[in-house]
Amino acid sequence: MESLRRDGTNTRTALRTGFFITAIATLLLALPATTKHAWAQGTLSDADKTCLGCHGSAGLEKRLDNADTLSLHVDGETFAKSVHIAIGCASCHADVDLAKHPGDKKISGARDYSVASIQICRGCHDDKFKQYQGSIHASLVRDGNAAAPICTDCHSPHAVMSKAASDLKSVPCKNCHSAIFEAYVASTHGKARSRGVGSFAPLCSGCHTAHAIAAASADDTIKEACLGCHAGALDAHAQWLPNAGLHFEVVSCPACHAPNARRRVDLRFQDNTTPAQVPEQKGVPRFESHVRSAEAAGKGLDAVTLWTLLRTFNQDGAAGKTVLRGRLEVRTGIEAHQLTEKSKAISNCDTCHRQGSEAFQSVTVSVAGPDGRPIRFGASKDVLSSVFSIDSISGFYAIGGTRIHLLDIGLVLAILAGLGVPIIHMTWGWLFRRYLKRQGIVDHTKA
Amino acid sequence: MQKIYVHPLPVRVWHWLNAIGFVSLILSGLQIRYVGLIDVVSFRTAVNLHNWIGFVLIANFFVWLGFYLFSDRIKAYHPELSPMKHFHGSIRQMQYYGYGIFKGDPNPHHVSIYRKFNPMQSMLYQIVMLLLVPIQFYTGILIWDVKRFSAQVDFFGGVRVVDTIHVLIFIFFVAFVLIHAYLGALGHTPSAHYKAMFSGYEELEDEEIQAQPAAGAGTQT
Repeated sequence: MESLRRDGTNTRTALRTGFFITAIATLLLALPATTKHAWAQGTLSDADKTCLGCHGSAGLEKRLDNADTLSLHVDGETFAKSVHIAIGCASCHADVDLAKHPGDKKISGARDYSVASIQICRGCHDDKFKQYQGSIHASLVRDGNAAAPICTDCHSPHAVMSKAASDLKSVPCKNCHSAIFEAYVASTHGKARSRGVGSFAPLCSGCHTAHAIAAASADDTIKEACLGCHAGALDAHAQWLPNAGLHFEVVSCPACHAPNARRRVDLRFQDNTTPAQVPEQKGVPRFESHVRSAEAAGKGLDAVTLWTLLRTFNQDGAAGKTVLRGRLEVRTGIEAHQLTEKSKAISNCDTCHRQGSEAFQSVTVSVAGPDGRPIRFGASKDVLSSVFSIDSISGFYAIGGTRIHLLDIGLVLAILAGLGVPIIHMTWGWLFRRYLKRQGIVDHTKA
Repeated sequence: MQKIYVHPLPVRVWHWLNAIGFVSLILSGLQIRYVGLIDVVSFRTAVNLHNWIGFVLIANFFVWLGFYLFSDRIKAYHPELSPMKHFHGSIRQMQYYGYGIFKGDPNPHHVSIYRKFNPMQSMLYQIVMLLLVPIQFYTGILIWDVKRFSAQVDFFGGVRVVDTIHVLIFIFFVAFVLIHAYLGALGHTPSAHYKAMFSGYEELEDEEIQAQPAAGAGTQT
């Protein structure tokens, strides 16, 4: 009986749940259509219509103090379709006093005006603002880089569409990173995206994030982005790649998956206790002096200088231990985006695991710059095969490709000893027996 | 000619498996390290081969260790506790190999069941079997999967340190195997020690028979 009552209760609960789900689904299905319909009709408020009465006129612009021209034109139709239609003009332009508008407001320059406008965006998008503040873009803005993007450079404020940056045509990144974007479009990700079939293929923000953009080579964020989609990659590689885990740690994905890219080894000064790269400020004076002297000699840092440099980083009771972490990567951002389908990726171990491999012909040494991007200095390729590397680059080693030459000499000596000892011993024996025979001393072995 | 049973079956099996394995490891190791200079098989094939042979030899090492730990034959590996006695014995053995052997002098070391190694062999084999071979296996395992053993690899200073130790011992074994094979041919006939390593029985020369404590178990005539 108890179970029957419980069954009845469960049935009623299920019916009630079903009803609510159906109702919510109906509402959700109806909502986009309603919204679309409203935009099509242009549900501008009266206040917005008043603004557009003037600002809807093409060519309306203002001459600024620095002789820049600021366009004051807003396309009403586009604005009516944008997501900002919901908040209207006054929400962002709250400083406009209609009684005195248009007044004689002084604006020093278009860039200054846009930079100041970031705070307006922050009013609603504080989470995105915080992400942006930690980004390399914001860092460049703070450094006074006039080309560094602010909110309005990527998001045209009067034409912000929902998910606007979700197709190749509207991606704002290409405005500054056009060469990289072209490489991306030609890549396996770009092709899949443009075909439309691989809707999961990432756009720029899929790997770099939209707002918290860091220097791509600063840490493992990009690699983690790769593995975010290709979650089974490590297991798949482990099927055929010896030491797959180590490869994943020290080889960047494009180093193999962009087979036509040029590769290099970047040796990073890192704190052993954290994955963070040692910042520029910490050791740069000494670093600079060593690098300058190496550059003056016409070569990069040599093995001894690098070893000495590492020791100077760890002198004077440094809090953490600075180590050199090696990483095989491609040389440019453009090459990092030339990803091919996996069948064309480098899978021949001999490509790297041989002396003179192209992968080890270019070596840089880097510290973290103030904006997070690495500051690179040239190094001699011989640093990878010097006996000093046992201590200084103890964590980076590619069998065959970066083998230590001194050990090769040791092997040759061992082979010479292994063959020489028997030969010398036999020769010595032959000469000794001959001597004994000449002296007339009985040779027991012949007796 | 009297024979003495000095190499029991487990030791012979271990020895020849070890010999084939070490030569294979040296050859595959050369291929791994010198791609481009040597291109007999691909790098990946050489690595896989090297790994598999390595694991077989690790198992084989425990055959050797197990046999000696649970057998009275371990006396063959007992160290000479008197340094002077050991030193003099080594000098006598070097003199023998240096010129005594060419004069036809008898070998100063007389083989017996529990003393099959001369003083030089005794010292060297203890270093090889109890130090170098275990280190080589250990470093090999660390290099086999660096990430899995990253804590230990880091403890020793990094993959390059571990690999350098592995290569240094590899270099030693290259010389060792060549010289070992030659010294094996310095019995009373060039093939005597080789035959003994297959049959288990060392042939004793007259001087050696007289030096035996007593003809008992393990001897044949």
